[in-house]
Amino acid sequence: MIGNRLARVSTAALAIVALMATAGFAYAADPAGGTSSAEIPLPPPPTAWYAEKPVGASAGPVTQDMLAKSPADASQWLLYGGGYRNFRNSPVTSLSPATVKNLHVAWSAPTGTTGQFETSPVVYGGVMYITSSYNRLIALDAKTGAFLWRYDVKLPDDLRLCCGPANRGVAIGGDVVIMATLDAHLIAFERMTGKVAWSVQLADYKDGYSATSAPLIIGDLVYTGVAGGEFGAGGFLDAYDLKTGKQVWRVHTVPGQDPAVAKTWAGDSWKSGGAPAWTTGAYDADTDTLFWTVGNPSPDWNGDTRAGDNLYSDSVLALDPKTGKMKWYFQFTPHDVWDYDGNTQLFLIDTEFNGKPVKAIAQPNRNGYFYLLDRVTGKFLRATQYVEQLNWATGIDAKGRPMVDPAALPQDNATKRVCPSNLGGMNGSWSGAYDPTTGLVFAPSIEACQKYQKGMVTYVKGIPFMGGMPDTTDANEGKAYGLLSAIDVKTGKVKWRYHDARPMMSGVVTTAGGVLFTANMRGEALAFDQATGDKLWSFRMGGAGRGQPIVYEVEGKPYVAVPSGGWTGLDGFAGAGSMLPEGGQMFVFSLDK
Amino acid sequence: MKRHRLFVAAAMATACVLTAACAVSQPAAPVAKTAVPAVATAPRFDAPADVARGRSIFVGTCGAYCHKMNAMNGDAPFLFDCDWLHGGSEAEIFHTITHGVPGTRMVAFGGAIPDEDIWRIVAYLKSASQCKK
Repeated sequence: MIGNRLARVSTAALAIVALMATAGFAYAADPAGGTSSAEIPLPPPPTAWYAEKPVGASAGPVTQDMLAKSPADASQWLLYGGGYRNFRNSPVTSLSPATVKNLHVAWSAPTGTTGQFETSPVVYGGVMYITSSYNRLIALDAKTGAFLWRYDVKLPDDLRLCCGPANRGVAIGGDVVIMATLDAHLIAFERMTGKVAWSVQLADYKDGYSATSAPLIIGDLVYTGVAGGEFGAGGFLDAYDLKTGKQVWRVHTVPGQDPAVAKTWAGDSWKSGGAPAWTTGAYDADTDTLFWTVGNPSPDWNGDTRAGDNLYSDSVLALDPKTGKMKWYFQFTPHDVWDYDGNTQLFLIDTEFNGKPVKAIAQPNRNGYFYLLDRVTGKFLRATQYVEQLNWATGIDAKGRPMVDPAALPQDNATKRVCPSNLGGMNGSWSGAYDPTTGLVFAPSIEACQKYQKGMVTYVKGIPFMGGMPDTTDANEGKAYGLLSAIDVKTGKVKWRYHDARPMMSGVVTTAGGVLFTANMRGEALAFDQATGDKLWSFRMGGAGRGQPIVYEVEGKPYVAVPSGGWTGLDGFAGAGSMLPEGGQMFVFSLDK
Repeated sequence: MKRHRLFVAAAMATACVLTAACAVSQPAAPVAKTAVPAVATAPRFDAPADVARGRSIFVGTCGAYCHKMNAMNGDAPFLFDCDWLHGGSEAEIFHTITHGVPGTRMVAFGGAIPDEDIWRIVAYLKSASQCKK
């Protein structure tokens, strides 16, 4: 099937070569090759089109000050989370409940690849940087959508992916944009030309590793984690020198040499314990703390051989960004047997708890609870249910530990519907957003239950190590649906909800004008009133919404970028399967002045 | 280039298997490594206990994000409809599991799962298949 996909991609690529050869693009042929008499001589596939003249050159290097203030300058969108505190809140005021009905398509751009299009664009110097499935990195004119440069990473055909060929975008800093790849590399590209500045291998993909999320840049360092929890690949978070790509530190998410960690894993089960740090973290400049979350322990659905809490799976880690030294941790789901990765988006919010101000972390967790933690101490403050169906636990105790219903544990022949589904709730593959004006966190989520089946599995490096399989009963019966929940951070209560006929699996961006943007799995870009939840606008993009929308301005004019394009494999698993064809397409909307 | 090279090699190997002359000039053992074993050599692991163990290993290793129990959308083929993409004999299914399918997410499980257990998975798949009448 992937063979067909590659054939399609290369046909499209050849067509684009023909178009671009006349448009001033420098075509860089793959230098590898060589033929022998036994081979059919064909030209190597094209891999990159570099910009002949530097693009975005009028803007200087991206400084730490710019990153720290992002997204205050509306002409830029520099970070996956909008800013270090992950609000994804644009300062643009011209997009309001009164104006949003006038949005129209400004431009559109194809990725040419199938698989989910999950990018969160970065905009800087009038250039938009997007990544597609299969690690294409494309620089576009943010005003017109014209292609400026493009780099297609050559990937092996035996990737170890659990969940599709996704990528969620680049990090930008200095004069480079950095992408993590499906074969577990980290590559820095010159932002003005597309040429590779440096490339490092994070781990051997054949051991079960991959990387899909946007890295995070703070000062001179770039941070990235890895995926691999369905292969028992030991999770880690790395810091690399932004200029050279040299590794500065690595934090293992299951440091089994530490007796305090080892005693939470039976025997030596920690060695194949997974716990990948596969999403993007957050940074608190006030306390100089890097927050990074950790995914599920392996094997996913059979905990028999890993009795114990399985630290630091399903946790948030508070780290010194310069050294990786841990300040504190908090584990959301001890001894997880449902695949409830702890790594949905963290919001670093200054709010109130019991009438007193608190520097908090809020997180709509994949396990269905909305958590509030003290981000200075790691102390648990509160957890409230934000999904409509939740029965794996009967509640969260005063210390933050879930009270698990034993009947919800995976069984050899499971018959009980357990909620949320293994994908959530909310999931780390899409973003939420926060509106400081209303104090609401917006969390798109899947509303579905499953029968969790347990099975036999033996750990072998690079081979699936899952230990079970959720019987996707709601998805099979068409009962899965979607929510967009507006959660009041001060109370933990849901203020309003939008119900969609399909699970909501696209990210969110909010605006200072009071309008949020997202997309649904039925192929629509959507705008809502942040205060009331009223649906204000929709546009039929066609492909399922799996990406992270952003808002930016060019010459004072507002633009909304919404990715379109799903992946049938995971969409069906979530209960959002449909006849919509795959294929990434970026839609950018604007308002006339 | 690599893909074309592999294709040519595969075509040559196939030609070798199909022609007697090739068998004369080539030792049998290396060819047998890539060729599908004869059905007659498939061991029997279809007792109820074997099938139950095969199901458990299938559930624990092959399901979830990959093969589904229900014929729903997914990029890993549904395995219970008797529509076999790479041959539906027991030996052919065993071969697909042990060697994987290049260019797809189906990795080679040979050596990772003992042969006896792979035969049990095959027995389970066969027993659970519901062919269209």
